[in-house]
Formats: sequence, C-alpha cells, structure tokens
Amino acid sequence: MNWAGIALGLFSFGVIGFGFVWVIRTEYHLGYLWWPYPLLAGIALIGGSLFVPSIGLSALLGIAGASFIWGATELKEQAVRADLGWFRKKPGGKPAPPLAGIIKKIGAPHL
Amino acid sequence: MPQLAGLSMATATFLGIWWGHVGVRRLEARSADVRPPALALITLGLGLNLYSLFAPSLTVAGVCSIIGITLLWDAFELYRQQRRVIKGHAPANPANPRHAAYLATPNSRATTADLLKREPADPTLGSMQSSGRLGHGTSSD
Repeated sequence: MNWAGIALGLFSFGVIGFGFVWVIRTEYHLGYLWWPYPLLAGIALIGGSLFVPSIGLSALLGIAGASFIWGATELKEQAVRADLGWFRKKPGGKPAPPLAGIIKKIGAPHL
Repeated sequence: MPQLAGLSMATATFLGIWWGHVGVRRLEARSADVRPPALALITLGLGLNLYSLFAPSLTVAGVCSIIGITLLWDAFELYRQQRRVIKGHAPANPANPRHAAYLATPNSRATTADLLKREPADPTLGSMQSSGRLGHGTSSD
C-alpha cells in the first residue's frame, strides 16, 4: 500500500482550508481588487512545479498553486458577502493595488 | 521534459474546488432529498481514496486522493448548502419540493433571489458601513 497519495489529498484539503482563511483576511484588509496577485502567484507556483526534479515537491507546488488561483476567484464573492453584512467589513477605504485602474476594467473572475 | 505531476495535482485540486462550489450548489438545488447524493459522494470519495492506496504511480494516487477527499467534503457541503438556502444565503429552487417547503414556511428567510449575483462596492472608496450587520465573521458561507 502506498500512502503518499492520501498524504497529498490531505495536503490539498489543508491548503484549501487555509485558502478560506487567507481569502477572508485579504478581502478584509486589502479588498477584492488585489485578486490578480494571488492569481499570478498561483500561476507562478504551477509553472515552477514543471521544473522541479522532485515529483513530490512538484505535486505540493501544483496543489498550492491551484489553491491560490481559486482564492483569487473567491475574493470578489467574499467582498459581496461582506457588503451584505454576512462577514465583517473593514471601516474606511482599503489600499488600491498596483495597476488598480486596469484591474477594475478587467473585472474579477469568480466560479 | 517538464515534471507534470504538479500540473496534474493542480488540475485535480482546481476541478475538485470548482465542483465543490458549482456542482454542489446545482446538486443541492435539484435534489428533493440530499441524503442519496451525499451517500453517492461518500461512496465515490472512499472508493477513490481506497484506489489511491494501490495506484500504479504517485501522480495517479495523488489525483485520486485529492478528488476523493474533496468529494467526501462535498457530501458535508451539501448539508451546509441546504442551511444556506434556509438562511436565504443561497437561492431556493421553487421547483424542488424541499426548497418549496422552505419558501412556504411562515417567517422563512429562504428566497429565490441570488444575493451574491451583484458587483461588490469599490473597496478603495471607503464606506460608512462599519462592521457586518449579521455575520461578524462567523458565517459559514
């Protein structure tokens, strides 16, 4: 029996769980307009996973990368939840991300 | 030759999350009783995890376990989605007899409106709304 697959499944589960936490915190402190940055981080992690020699490390990078990409798509919906009062909303304005004008024109992705 | 294990795991993770969001919502909205689909998800999830123990490669084992564990979570998520519908945090499907009963309950908070289908306020402009009206960070949505 090989338990490595189950270990990867549990790692994925943990990373997704952590994703919920960082999405809530990021939206609260920074706002959903920062979504391209976790998206790019996720793409970079998956891109990096293609070039590491270790199959295990590649797997971990790929899982973490997918979680970041999903988190990027979740930020907008989390902002709506905060607008609706289902989650805390930070009083006052939030910092604009670099290239905010372009980001606003693109529109945030969501699942 | 690129190492494709990470890309395979990433695809499995993303599809698992996608199904966990979109698929579970659809399944819950169409099921008159959530127990049969929950049982099917548990069976499939356990089967995939069992197979991963004997899979021929780490990539296949990892993909099977990732999908398997997310399916197990999705079985639980069906009940959470049901609770969201009751609370009005997810739209009820009036064609579903279970949802129709939620809608018909006196003083029900269930609604057919999808409250999440809207654009969020611009966060850089600030807001006079201070803290949440209902949730205070404890919502399960």
